[in-house]
Amino acid sequence: MYIVVVGAGSTGFYVASLLSREKQEIVVVEQDEEVAERVRRELDVGVVVGNAATPRILWQAEVQRADLVVAVTGVDESNMITCFMAKELGAKKTIARVRNPEYSGYLLVGGKSPYAPRKVIRPKGLGVDLFVNPEIEAAREIVSILSGLYATPMEEFADGRVQLREFRAESAAVVGKRIPDIPFPRPCVVAMLGRGEEMGVPEADARVEKGDRLYLIAARKDMDELGAIFEAPLRSPRTVVIFGGGTIGFNVAEALEKRGVRVKPMEKNPARCQEISSKLKRAVVIQGGRPDRELLVDEGVAHADAFVGATGDESLNILAGLVARDVGVSRNIVVVDEPDYIQLAEAVGVDVAMSPLLLCGSRIAHYVLHGGAGSVALLGNEDAQAIEFLVAPNARISMHSVSELEWPKQAILGAIVRGDAILVPTSTTVIEPGDTVIVAALLDEVAGVERLFKAP
Amino acid sequence: MSIRIVIKYLGVVLAILGALLCFPLFWSLAVAHDGVHASFLIPACIALLGGLSLFRFFPVEKRSLSLREGLALVTCTWVVGSVVGAIPYVISGTLPSFVDAFFETMSGFTTTGATVLTAIGHQPPSILLWRNFSQWIGGMGIITFFVALFPMFGVGAARLFEAEMPGPQPERLRARVVDTARALWLLYVAFSLIEFALLWLVARLPFYDSMNIMFGTMPTGGFLHLQQSLGAYVDSPFVTTVVTFFMLAAGVNFALYFYALRRRQAGALLGNPEFRLYAGIFLISSGVIAFDLVSRTGMTVGRAIQHATFQVASIQTTTGFATADFDLWPALSKGFLLVLMVIGACAGSTGGGLKVVRLLVVFRYAFRQVVVAFSPRSVMPLKLGGETVPEAMVSAIAGMAVLYVLALAAGFLCMSALGLDVVTALSSVAACVGNVGPGLGAVGPARDYAFIPGVGKLVLAGLMLVGRLEFVTVMALVSPSFWHWR
Repeated sequence: MYIVVVGAGSTGFYVASLLSREKQEIVVVEQDEEVAERVRRELDVGVVVGNAATPRILWQAEVQRADLVVAVTGVDESNMITCFMAKELGAKKTIARVRNPEYSGYLLVGGKSPYAPRKVIRPKGLGVDLFVNPEIEAAREIVSILSGLYATPMEEFADGRVQLREFRAESAAVVGKRIPDIPFPRPCVVAMLGRGEEMGVPEADARVEKGDRLYLIAARKDMDELGAIFEAPLRSPRTVVIFGGGTIGFNVAEALEKRGVRVKPMEKNPARCQEISSKLKRAVVIQGGRPDRELLVDEGVAHADAFVGATGDESLNILAGLVARDVGVSRNIVVVDEPDYIQLAEAVGVDVAMSPLLLCGSRIAHYVLHGGAGSVALLGNEDAQAIEFLVAPNARISMHSVSELEWPKQAILGAIVRGDAILVPTSTTVIEPGDTVIVAALLDEVAGVERLFKAP
Repeated sequence: MSIRIVIKYLGVVLAILGALLCFPLFWSLAVAHDGVHASFLIPACIALLGGLSLFRFFPVEKRSLSLREGLALVTCTWVVGSVVGAIPYVISGTLPSFVDAFFETMSGFTTTGATVLTAIGHQPPSILLWRNFSQWIGGMGIITFFVALFPMFGVGAARLFEAEMPGPQPERLRARVVDTARALWLLYVAFSLIEFALLWLVARLPFYDSMNIMFGTMPTGGFLHLQQSLGAYVDSPFVTTVVTFFMLAAGVNFALYFYALRRRQAGALLGNPEFRLYAGIFLISSGVIAFDLVSRTGMTVGRAIQHATFQVASIQTTTGFATADFDLWPALSKGFLLVLMVIGACAGSTGGGLKVVRLLVVFRYAFRQVVVAFSPRSVMPLKLGGETVPEAMVSAIAGMAVLYVLALAAGFLCMSALGLDVVTALSSVAACVGNVGPGLGAVGPARDYAFIPGVGKLVLAGLMLVGRLEFVTVMALVSPSFWHWR
């Protein structure tokens, strides 16, 4: 696949590095010579220097033969013009990052439940096939984590009937046991085991150590029960403090407020405080930009059920999350930019660190790899993926079981959705045409898995 | 900087080298029956087994190469490759001294073509085949070859590729380095096959001869299995013309062929300023030399043109073939050839030397200094083909030119210290740094490098490597700050 990535800011750089690791042919267009030089040095991609919103530069990037154009510069309008022109010149698909929801027609949160489908009213004729908005995605993810029973992130497959959830091994029911000996109350598959920086499909009798990350795939109705052996279920928060009133903070506040949660946004800029407090119905907005212990205690943060660190400054978010935890908040979620900092933040005591970049990257990777079919989720620190496949009658894997095929070593079958039933597969389960299959695999092996789902 | 990771990847390099050694092994066993197969079998086994086990069992952390490791790997590849490639000469008894064999192999891999082999006609055919084949491997770059075949280096591949490709800034033909390396090798192989077909099928040369001539031409190498080089074919103008054409073709930036083919217009090639200067140098030099030959030696015009074009192409592209002993030519012709040795071919070609594009930039740079002297306020960005050359690249090119001259001077002093006369000392150094091969005087086309003392051979072999990798890669390894703070 030939992909043109426009803009090598943090999102563009991340998307380009992710896709080039998947062995796609990529050209990055960037205006700033210094930034372009960094891309040239660190990634195995082609580089074109110039303003991509001009046909000359787009020609130079050979956009006419591009399968996909991803426009992720910092300017909405420039991204849209780039996509429009790329489409005119012959690019097949385009993705634009558009922060201003008024352009893309995003209806932020459709219903009361975060699982409700969002209504996306797209403007036609702009040539943009997919609008991505990292901030809105992040806000949605935060709301979804906060409304779940567990603190860890979750991904959904097969229209939400199958879930993949990350759990931390802390409880005595899990730590020190071999995976077959763990008393799971419901059938499930331990798809991936993460330990520190490492991550992979666990060996059949791998022993779980304290602090390991287990990625469980199971039916959604079973997941809450399964989670109970890892940690005590949390109650839904009733009060949430949101540190930072930017796009993410505001959207989280708005969505939570709609669902009857009391929110208390804190924001540094007085004008912005005015703005958000006039947009929110009941919330009291606090003006304050430093995560002072005193300020947090004064404002009753200690009694809040959850804390969200969502300023534009990742180090401030982590710090604020830690202060809040110290003050006594039971759950804290912080936003970081650099995907590498996620583990670091979680290691020092943040419950969930999340990166809008990672979300945006996974959206785009999903689009690239599967053209919008099935779902894709990036797991852990972007090392692994969980992918949903619909089994075609002529697929190589059809009417076979995993043990009969050359199944990649670092890939695992997580669940099979057959009609209304959700099966937890073993290596001898025969896969039938029409099944929806959820597979988790390390990034290097994804191509090998995909081959099995294609016609021989 | 981790030495371990370099060693691990050197294992791969070794294994491939072992596989490549099987070609002369096969020739010795199946075709030539010259009884020297053991001298290929032993190094091939050592390299294959050693290399594979290094790669397989040497534990290193899984990550891509850093810049320093890339530079170290490239240099080590060429040195280790030459050590392994030298073994067949030693075992077969062709060159019993290891220093001689190392010199010969380095000369082959760097496509220099300077030889210490005296009685070429009496050597086993498979040894001569290895000698010629080694230039063909080195032509487009050993590392580039590995990058093209094995997409295992990851992001590090870009660094390796850039460290090995000649020219100020290697062009990425395709977005991915692997694809770029493949495109270059494909063009290289295609040219090689066409030349081989022309020589074998049209000129009706024997299979072995056509193959060996091709192995010497396309990488702009210069080794040949014949004692008199291409002098043996001086009466066959078709052969010399074909070889002249392909030497010139190999001296052009391969990226230009790629663009010309892709956009289906010759303008990408013909409009390139470096190509124009390269063609201009060729036409003017061969004209002057032909005229010089006719007027001073009384050669017929046809013969003079044949010799002059062939010899200019051979020296300008740093191949080093000879149809005549140009050491006996008039002084003006020899002077021209010596200057051409230093200039060399185009960037991104298989040829060596300072490279035409650098000459172009350095000249314009010098000219700008002159203009600034009388008009200090003039703003004159350096342009090549309508595009401004960034000042950072201008200074990099100027720095490289200075290094080149310094290397020439240092090598010249070394050779003089070993007792060589001025012409021999100067031309031997110019011929080795520029990867040309034969020089003037005692290292002229009709003679060889065998008489130079061992130390001198090692110095020259080092200069070949430095010239092939264009200084920076090798010099980085010997600069103290490379090793501090690793």
